[in-house]
Amino acid sequence: MNADYAGLFQALRPEAYLVIGALVVLIVDMIWARHRPANRHHVALALGLISLLMAGYAAATSGASGAIYDGMFQLDPLSVATRTGVILLAALALALLPDAARLRHPAEFTAILLFATTGFTLMAAANNLLVAFLALELASLSLYVLAGFDKASPESAEAGLKYFLFGGMAAAFLLFGFSLLYGLTGTLRLDLIGQQLAQQGPTPLLIVALVMVLVGFGFKAAAAPFHLWAPDVYQGAPAPAAALIASASKLAGLVLFTRLLWPGLGSAVGTIAHLPVTVGWAPVVALISGASLLLGNIGALAQSNVRRLLAYSAISHAGALLLGVIAAGRTGVGPLFYYAATYGLTTVGAFGVIGALESAGRVQQLTDLAGLHKRSPLLAGCLAVFVLSLAGIPPLAGFFGKFAVFASVLQLGGLAGPAGWLVICAIALSAVALYYYLLILKQALVAAPADNAAPVRVSLSATIALLIAAGLIVALGLWPSAVLELF
Amino acid sequence: MFRVFLMSLSVQNLWLIPALPLAAAAIGALTPRTGRALAAGAAITAMAGAFILSCLALVGALAEPAAHQVFNFAWFDLGHGALRLGLLLDPLTAFMGVMVTFVSLLIFIFSTGYMKDDANYKQFFCFLSLFASAMLGLLVANSLLLLFVCWELVGLASYLLIGFWFHKPAAAAAAKKAFITTRIGDLGFLLGILWLQDTQGTLLFYDGGHGILESAALANLAHLLPCGLAASTAIGLLIFCGAIGKSGQFPLHVWLPDAMEGPTPVSALIHAATMVAAGVFLMARVYPLMAADQGLANVPVHALTVVACIGAITALMGALIAVAQNDIKRILAFSTVSQLGYMMLAIGVGSWTAAIFHLLTHAFFKALLFLGAGSVIHAAHHEQDIRRLGGLRPKMKVTFATFAIGMMALAGVPFLFSGFWSKEAILHAAHEWNVSSLPLYAGLAAVVLTALYMTRLVAEVFFGAARTAEADHAHENSPAMTMPLVLLALCAVLLGFLGTPAFPWLQARLLGDSEVHGHSLLEGSGLMRVSIVLVALGLGAGWALYGRRPRARAESPDPLAARAPRLIAALASRLGFDELYAATVGRLSSGFATFCAFLEIYVWDGAVRFLAGLGELSGLVSRENDEQGFNAGFNSASESLRKTSTAYSKAQSGDAHGYLRTLALGFVLLLIIVILGGAR
Repeated sequence: MNADYAGLFQALRPEAYLVIGALVVLIVDMIWARHRPANRHHVALALGLISLLMAGYAAATSGASGAIYDGMFQLDPLSVATRTGVILLAALALALLPDAARLRHPAEFTAILLFATTGFTLMAAANNLLVAFLALELASLSLYVLAGFDKASPESAEAGLKYFLFGGMAAAFLLFGFSLLYGLTGTLRLDLIGQQLAQQGPTPLLIVALVMVLVGFGFKAAAAPFHLWAPDVYQGAPAPAAALIASASKLAGLVLFTRLLWPGLGSAVGTIAHLPVTVGWAPVVALISGASLLLGNIGALAQSNVRRLLAYSAISHAGALLLGVIAAGRTGVGPLFYYAATYGLTTVGAFGVIGALESAGRVQQLTDLAGLHKRSPLLAGCLAVFVLSLAGIPPLAGFFGKFAVFASVLQLGGLAGPAGWLVICAIALSAVALYYYLLILKQALVAAPADNAAPVRVSLSATIALLIAAGLIVALGLWPSAVLELF
Repeated sequence: MFRVFLMSLSVQNLWLIPALPLAAAAIGALTPRTGRALAAGAAITAMAGAFILSCLALVGALAEPAAHQVFNFAWFDLGHGALRLGLLLDPLTAFMGVMVTFVSLLIFIFSTGYMKDDANYKQFFCFLSLFASAMLGLLVANSLLLLFVCWELVGLASYLLIGFWFHKPAAAAAAKKAFITTRIGDLGFLLGILWLQDTQGTLLFYDGGHGILESAALANLAHLLPCGLAASTAIGLLIFCGAIGKSGQFPLHVWLPDAMEGPTPVSALIHAATMVAAGVFLMARVYPLMAADQGLANVPVHALTVVACIGAITALMGALIAVAQNDIKRILAFSTVSQLGYMMLAIGVGSWTAAIFHLLTHAFFKALLFLGAGSVIHAAHHEQDIRRLGGLRPKMKVTFATFAIGMMALAGVPFLFSGFWSKEAILHAAHEWNVSSLPLYAGLAAVVLTALYMTRLVAEVFFGAARTAEADHAHENSPAMTMPLVLLALCAVLLGFLGTPAFPWLQARLLGDSEVHGHSLLEGSGLMRVSIVLVALGLGAGWALYGRRPRARAESPDPLAARAPRLIAALASRLGFDELYAATVGRLSSGFATFCAFLEIYVWDGAVRFLAGLGELSGLVSRENDEQGFNAGFNSASESLRKTSTAYSKAQSGDAHGYLRTLALGFVLLLIIVILGGAR
């Protein structure tokens, strides 16, 4: 093993900035800011944003230099874009912190958020089963803490615990799957695993390993039937944590598993583009995807809780994203990345609006949004952009993301096989989805405000974050090629 | 160093001249009602800019007077061909442009004083700028189509401005009358344009040998139609219809006197100096087309002969009616009709340069007279009846002096005043016309009448004693109103020397000659002597009748009416043209309108109601269908979806053990499916 430490450090500068930033936030808080409660949030926020911006700049300019440190990491355009994307999403989520004023330890929250982001960036670049698992666990453990961070709220604690239990079990499955893969191939490097498997051909043991890996994937992406944690966690977690779980975590997970499935397990993909279906991971992913689309969209219909509604919406989007994963090997990862990144932006925005509203009082039921256009036209306008993008209304990014992914799936085999049928099912369910999305907008834009509702004051950082997210959704919807041409 | 000041405007940039007032009109339209200073300032600034540009264009045009500088461009593609428009710069365009911009500028300035108290002040300047833009566009057009577009736009601006005080029923009616009457002429004009486009395939005036005014195209029109006329004669006469309407020629002159219901600056600018002269300009512009049939011997009539006759009739008739009018603006309006008749007469007898010369001088002195009248009206609290004025000479010295200059220019007082020279040029051309002498006699008779009615006007308004309280309280107006009068008076004197027979510079430049060939004034001066005598006769008769013993009271009888009561009564009622039209064309069209209304109410409306009923019925049926069948099915489907969802939500109990069991179950299930699938 030829260790190139200089190259490794060069490649991992973003992670270094993030970790150093997390430590600085903790130290400054302990020594100085702790005694100034009025500024504690702002100091943590400022330091956290600075370190995120430095890391983001380093990630965006790092360049696709290929395999690093004996193939531990792979820096290709996808990992550059993903690292930049997750850092941007984390920064937007962090900007919601001042409105979550009930969190008593902002510095710890910021530091853990930065650790989680470190996990995401490593997931985006990992090319080794061990690194991937470590990165995943770093991110997951941080997120468990963030989900239960609101100590004053029993729901937050419940969310943290359920997330942890579910995540722990999924991680066990994943680790078992990884160990089987290592046993089958004798290597941890994804590209070498791919070469080995191509020589061996599919075996029953490989199938078991695949399904175990996909359990971990399904958990991370909140796809049915491994989605059960999502509604409870989205409901209970503090808004910035929920935003992070729904956006950056999902993007990083999708990229990690896409890398795992295509370069690593590409020879065991099977086919679902035409009948008869051949065995591999693609039919399993297709099953998960179809179940997610159905359960997510139908489950959302009856929700009266806006956070649970967003969770079911996330499940249905996971179904569409998994379709993109199936197509990514053939048509490139561009549509998948575009969809996942813009979906992350919209959920950060949606949770941002909820978080901003929560500074004035708890927001759970749809009716808590009533009369938002009177209480805060800015929030109502941003919410309209986010929700319409989730629903896939042109010219917003959500429409083009769905369009690009579905088009790439149809390129596989048209309507001749299960993949094409799934696309038709997804498009039909989009019409169902429009109903519950418009329920949100009906409350926000049409219904009259409650009698005791006061105008909402939104912090500056959250305002800027929401405007950036909404502006990006509109801009990327108008110029999707800005993202698609990266790959 | 000196060259910098001699720069000129090239034809490519000619569009700037109409664009400036158009921008001012846009500013005027967009400013709120309170933005009075902004709208007026923009209009005046833009006009001053357009004036400077026009002067530069004149420099450019005079550098090569014989050339028709053109700049043609494709407007849009139409099938295989392109519809092309163009700009044209020649001395005719340039002289007209300088005149229009200069007179407009002075009248804009005058208007700031005259319209000071009007609530719609900014709108007035917006409309004025729109008019100026359209008028200038008309002048620079190198395409009959572009000219027609601008022609209609000046008609629109004229409509808007005549009806500016639309709350007065008379003004609204006059605006409508002007618009509809000129439309009758424009119908002929449009037919002529379509005919030309059909036969020539282009409407560009000059296009490097292919334009409709160039000899190759004119030769196409020499063939005879079944009715015996040459094609060019028929097209020329159709185009002349437009000029008849716009320039108030007999028999469509009836709108012009009524147009005096508009504000006086509008009367001065549009209905005396510029727009009404557009018909004359059009005839001068298409003169090669009008004269194309001159060489044909076997045709019943030449186009120009018709033009000359119409012009002569109009000149005489306008002057006759003017003698018997009592409203100061109506007198001037009929005098405008008469003078436009002179110009048409000049074109008809073959001297379009004389017509343009008279157009230019007339624009200045008639604008002067109208603004003078406006000054009188403004001072006398909107009293317009000359019998109820009087004695204004000592009270309004500047107005009187300038008005007198304008009056003498119009009457054609010899040598010093521009009107004399331009009218002499027309009479001279009429004298040399070898088809008939009648136009000459009509013109000479009109000379006497013009001197007579103008003397009457001045004597009644300015001399004698004030006959009403309004006239008694009159006083001189502000410099914004008198300064344009003085400038126009200067022009009314000086402009005549551009075209005297001894040095006909203007005519030579218009014809494209760089040499000026004059001759002694005494050479062939018999006609001039006759007309001088006739002017003296008219002035003397007017003074004898109205000046020597001024009217004592407003109600005193008119001395001329006392001598020939029936003639004057007939003239005062404008020879009954309005009544004639009301009884014939008006009644016919109102009868047709009644018929159409009958059809509309009972026939078409019934059919529409029937169809609407059918539509309603089918709508009813399909709504029932929709609600009972389709919609109910959709509702039940939606309801069952929601029920599924509720049931599913209940299944999600929140029990963590259940979650983990589901996870494990899901894993096993997937494994079984895949392995079974693999075994198959």
